[in-house]
Amino acid sequence: MIRPEEIKLSSEENGKWGMVIDQDICTGCQACVAACAMENNISFVGEEDSGYGRAMHWIRIERFWEGEYPEVKMTPRQPMLCQQCGHATCEPVCPAFATVHSQAEQLNLQVYNRCVGTRYCANNCPYQVRAFNWRDYQRPEPLSNQLNPDVTVRRMGVMEKCTFCIQRIHKAQDQAKAEGREVQDGEFTTACAQACPASAIVFGRVDNPESLVSQLAHKGHGVKHLEELGTLPNVTYFKGG
Amino acid sequence: MSEQFSRRDFLKLAGVGAATTAILTGCGPASRYVKREPYMQMPEYNYNGQSTYYATTCRECAAGCGLIVRTMQGRALKTEGNANNPLNLGKTCARGQATLHGLYNPDRVTDPVKRTRGSASTTAVDWDAATQVVADALKNNKPEEIAFLMGMAPDHLFDLVTDLANTTGINAPVRFGALGMFESRATLSKAAENLFGEARMPFFDVGGAEVVLSFGANFLETWISPVSYTRGFVGLREAKTKLRGKFIQLEARMSSTAGKADEWLPIRPGTEALVALAIGRLASELRGGPMPRAFSSVDPLDAASKSGIKLEMLEHIAELFSGSHVALAIPGGSALGQSNGLTVAEAVLALNAVADNFGKPGGVYFSPLAPNQTAYQSPASAKEMQDFIQKMADGKFKVLFVHGVNPIFELPASLDFKGALKGVEQVISFATFPDETALESDYVFPDHHGLESWGYQRVITGSNQSVLSGSQPVVSPFYNTRATVDVLVTAAQLAGGAFATALPFKDEVEFLQSKVAPLMSEADGFFSAADLNTFMASFQQYGGWWKLSDGRGVPGTADVLNRNMDGAEAEFAGEGEFFLVPFVSPTLAEAGANKPWLQELPDPTTTVMWNTWVEMNPETAHELGLEDDDVVRITSEAGVLEVPVYRYPAIRPDTIAIPYGQGHTAYGRYAEKRGVNPTDLLVQHFNEAGDLAFAGVKVKIEKTRQEAASFPP
Amino acid sequence: MSDNKTHADHGAHSAEHFREKHLMLDPLPRGQMNDMVMESMLEKPTWKFWIIFAFLSVVVAYFLFYKWGVLIAKGQGEAGVMRPDYWGIFLVNTVFWIGISHAGTFISAILRVFKAEFRRPFTRAAELMTTFGLVQAGFSIFMHLGRVWLFYWLMPYPNQRMLWPNLHSPLTWDLLAITTYLLSSTMYLFLPLIPDMAMARDRSTGWRKNFYRILALGFRGTEGEWTHLRNAMNIFAFAIIPVMFSVHTIVSWDFAAATRPGWSSTIFGPYFIVGALHSGMGAAAIVLAVIQGTMKHMKYFVRGEHFDAIGKLMLIISMAWAYFFFNDYMVQWYGGDKWTQQMLHFHEAGPLGWMWFAMLICNIAIPWAILWNARWRATPWLIATVGIAINIGMWFERYIIIPISVTINRMPFTWRLYQPGIEVPMGIGTVALFILLYMAASKLIPLIPVWEVQEGQMAHELKKFGRETVVSVSELE
Repeated sequence: MIRPEEIKLSSEENGKWGMVIDQDICTGCQACVAACAMENNISFVGEEDSGYGRAMHWIRIERFWEGEYPEVKMTPRQPMLCQQCGHATCEPVCPAFATVHSQAEQLNLQVYNRCVGTRYCANNCPYQVRAFNWRDYQRPEPLSNQLNPDVTVRRMGVMEKCTFCIQRIHKAQDQAKAEGREVQDGEFTTACAQACPASAIVFGRVDNPESLVSQLAHKGHGVKHLEELGTLPNVTYFKGG
Repeated sequence: MSEQFSRRDFLKLAGVGAATTAILTGCGPASRYVKREPYMQMPEYNYNGQSTYYATTCRECAAGCGLIVRTMQGRALKTEGNANNPLNLGKTCARGQATLHGLYNPDRVTDPVKRTRGSASTTAVDWDAATQVVADALKNNKPEEIAFLMGMAPDHLFDLVTDLANTTGINAPVRFGALGMFESRATLSKAAENLFGEARMPFFDVGGAEVVLSFGANFLETWISPVSYTRGFVGLREAKTKLRGKFIQLEARMSSTAGKADEWLPIRPGTEALVALAIGRLASELRGGPMPRAFSSVDPLDAASKSGIKLEMLEHIAELFSGSHVALAIPGGSALGQSNGLTVAEAVLALNAVADNFGKPGGVYFSPLAPNQTAYQSPASAKEMQDFIQKMADGKFKVLFVHGVNPIFELPASLDFKGALKGVEQVISFATFPDETALESDYVFPDHHGLESWGYQRVITGSNQSVLSGSQPVVSPFYNTRATVDVLVTAAQLAGGAFATALPFKDEVEFLQSKVAPLMSEADGFFSAADLNTFMASFQQYGGWWKLSDGRGVPGTADVLNRNMDGAEAEFAGEGEFFLVPFVSPTLAEAGANKPWLQELPDPTTTVMWNTWVEMNPETAHELGLEDDDVVRITSEAGVLEVPVYRYPAIRPDTIAIPYGQGHTAYGRYAEKRGVNPTDLLVQHFNEAGDLAFAGVKVKIEKTRQEAASFPP
Repeated sequence: MSDNKTHADHGAHSAEHFREKHLMLDPLPRGQMNDMVMESMLEKPTWKFWIIFAFLSVVVAYFLFYKWGVLIAKGQGEAGVMRPDYWGIFLVNTVFWIGISHAGTFISAILRVFKAEFRRPFTRAAELMTTFGLVQAGFSIFMHLGRVWLFYWLMPYPNQRMLWPNLHSPLTWDLLAITTYLLSSTMYLFLPLIPDMAMARDRSTGWRKNFYRILALGFRGTEGEWTHLRNAMNIFAFAIIPVMFSVHTIVSWDFAAATRPGWSSTIFGPYFIVGALHSGMGAAAIVLAVIQGTMKHMKYFVRGEHFDAIGKLMLIISMAWAYFFFNDYMVQWYGGDKWTQQMLHFHEAGPLGWMWFAMLICNIAIPWAILWNARWRATPWLIATVGIAINIGMWFERYIIIPISVTINRMPFTWRLYQPGIEVPMGIGTVALFILLYMAASKLIPLIPVWEVQEGQMAHELKKFGRETVVSVSELE
């Protein structure tokens, strides 16, 4: 059997930005979900639509029950977000090239204004992390004052998903470039990782062996979800327990 | 201090350039004394595409976490934790993140208004008239007829009113909050007083422990200071210097916190004291030596049979407490909301005495007192609120000022705050939101939102250091609101006499400076400065002032175990067959229901959004013929509620649980007419420390014909 | 041909008997036949026709176009789609209508290529199904788009930014395949229509004469014209067969090329084609029964032998479908993937398990129970009923493959059952539009390709060998 580390990957497949999520210390507090929504101008969809599985969370915290009362347990909380796959299943199926692989950042991009809303990418995403704008969700004034000008506000009929806060990546890169240096590990982070009270989410360069996220990812007990599908996800989970 | 000095002078004074490039000081919206510059010389906070960051304090709960708010062109865009603040070290909870949805909420109170109580329609008044109303209220009533009811946070406004009360003889301000009620804060400090001789807030060093035994303390959700306790939990779990810590939680309903525990033990409500004492006894037996008096009367077998926890499990826990582990026991949550809550708190703290962890890493400390604090100030217990309400009803108060609290929603309906308001001639609310209490007030003189406000807040617990979190406006006030301190200061001048001498300030900032100035002379500060302006600039820049040293106190341990402790079961109010466990919604807490993104955060355990539910064991639901979303009628001695059922696999079959946070009749479009308020079921049933026995109620359940809306498109 | 043997078995049957049974052996004067076809088309519509026509128009206007407007204005949230069922009934209907459209080509092209003589009277009816079915399929897929006003971004059109559709995406292939199929099947519908148009032109007056004159393209019936027409039809008949096969294979790749459990199945190509033929033949049976039952002179053109032949095809296709269904099921189940197994279990035992059993009953049990009997096969209402059952069963099959299968994915936290919304009335709207188009067509073009029937009749002959009457067919081309 071929072990994953024995497979020779192109630089594209190796990934650039990655994340490590420690499920053992994730408390399921939803701070990442709220932070993500605030950073990325995610619409709230209201009671009816969220009750029907249309909430637009880019990151969600999964929990399952195990066993029966009184031996019942809650499984370690599982924050699930776009895994920014090296071989993303969402990318080839989009007929309009609205979801494409970024050469520069090695991320799965979603080009909002190219999306025609076939929703094929969401169907084909094994992680089910894509969120569709089922309607033009209302954001009564003056709530729009809070919108982050670095992030496009999406309208009805387009797909969206976690971007690894690409606006922050670019900002940090621009800053570093202006100062004539490389982006330092830990210089910036994604909104979810920044908010997480447990620091259960660590973000950084996986192609840099010195970075915290690489060192954590190679600790050995990390798991990548649905790796058997060959998606080459860039998020590593520590299962905990 | 000069009347006006330019922003550039201010920057020079603050020495910002040297300190940081990102976090600016009191310029921008915070700068009252800044000259208006011509358009061509825009200050940098107005530059297109450039963000500025301001440090302030989160006002979503009373914990006092520091925030850094990203702003651009005068709009607040994102809140982040303030990495400098020792309490939260750059982290926030979900409510801190969503605070912008309060700032830019479409339903805020926009102008000072006068209203006929209970009526939605209002007449706008201008601020001069409003200040005059406040001045008249102060001047025309006897001091003992003036009362202030305030939110739980020990902030600068509380200090101002306290000063006012001390000088003029008006009633001392009363602080209350539903979170404090559900945390039984008065019980915690009373237990500390009884055991250690000092009424202080205990601090539990979860991070340093190897074994944590929590009696209902939901410290990963809303409990007292959740962000810092979450950091503690990470310390418990992370295997850096020790083995991965073990965490056991005893409570009738598995909370989100208990969901992270290695063992969740569904204890029968009311037997917590008994179980704590039994564990103490078993641990003492394992330790050897004479049996401490505290545990001498308890029978572990009896405790096991009454509580529903197996004796082996009790022995196992006792072993953890007697051995070489660093063990820590935490009392909290529903365990204290029993008629014997104080006994529970004492018994659990006594367990720590067996583990001998007082003042040791992984043990129990006293929380450090905040920099300008001489004694721990516990918010009012429900019993004290009952007295307060009685005075209102008896007409003892002619004027009531309400700020930062929504008592009609937060207090159990059975205490009838709303009815007692009839006995008060004039009710003046400073609410930023049209909440239930503002609706029953004669005047609403809206305060700024927390992000538009000056101030400071004492940190009660959560940090090793003594912390005063500072607030400054990160954006200019969005509406025609005015700082309550400003209103009171001006009104006091207008009222004249003792009031004018009590508050001899020009405005809020001057008052604030008068309070912060003494810190300049204190040693051991995170920063210091020789002159007030520089000190204040740093205070704003860093978001407060804190000491560098460990300020935690060590509880006296002498007599903890040498006292009688009573393991009698708690008494329950009501005849029903189910124990009712109300719990604070981990995402909404007491004041989050008006923020749409908080409403849309899934509850961490049930994943329900935008609504209230009653949790019921699937077995029980099956016996009652109930499915998910069937609406049941729940009856207690105090009231009736109709709630949809959520079949919750991790709750005792004899217990039901309802989250607190929804059920508003006012409070903006996102909160109104949504869910129910479980405090409607709570009867006037208190524990020995005067806290509400909110988990000491038994209820009946009936099926109704209704089914809650499920949502097809 | 194949008929020879069957009829030879009857032995003593008289020529009279043959004529009664077989259209090809029952020639009427050509002028009379032409008049019959014209009469059936020009017959003054009854009040029932107008009521149904008006009712369907209202249904189409409200359910299809008004609701579509609502859908465009308010977004896909009006439909029942959500996470994890991003595709719902719109896609079910797309696949369903493409399936219906397959019967037309199958009957017309494949039976023409194999010279199955029984096809002659109903090729036109089947080809109309192809074109009209594809219109519904196109509508359904456009309804499903989140931003339908940008549909042309899926087309390869020259543009300044050099943005092209993604040729990796099965949806791009799909669009190309369906467009090709729609264009070629429309042309293939039109070619055999030309002589009939010329016939109608010569027998009508007023606006119809102009209408038919334009469509007849000046066809006069010269030998050269016939030769060109035959050549063109032959080329098209052969060329459209691979197009037909490719279209539904590509539709199946929308699913088979995806990674979802229950979709990623290598046998989906042929399985979908057989399924398409299954529902298409069922639909052809319904259409034929309706035509025969409601239109003048049609009992002459459409006879028991035709239903019998369609019934046999339905039975064979049903058997083939059953083979592919169980093959697909077995291979998926045997694969042992835990998600696939959960999903298969969910098909049978989930809240919509009844649908799975109903599918098997409609697609296998009912056809097998009825179609083995020659007399039953020749009974129009019975064969139409079987056709309806098959179509319901095949719609269920697509419903099971799309919204029910995707309910069970690899992220159990997102499992949720799909509840249709606006797609139901809009789906009804497409059915109404299909019927409406058919009704309009029945009044505008001859539903019977009368020249083909006459051609067949010319080729057939009854001969006597001793006491035996036998059928002889001469090669025409």
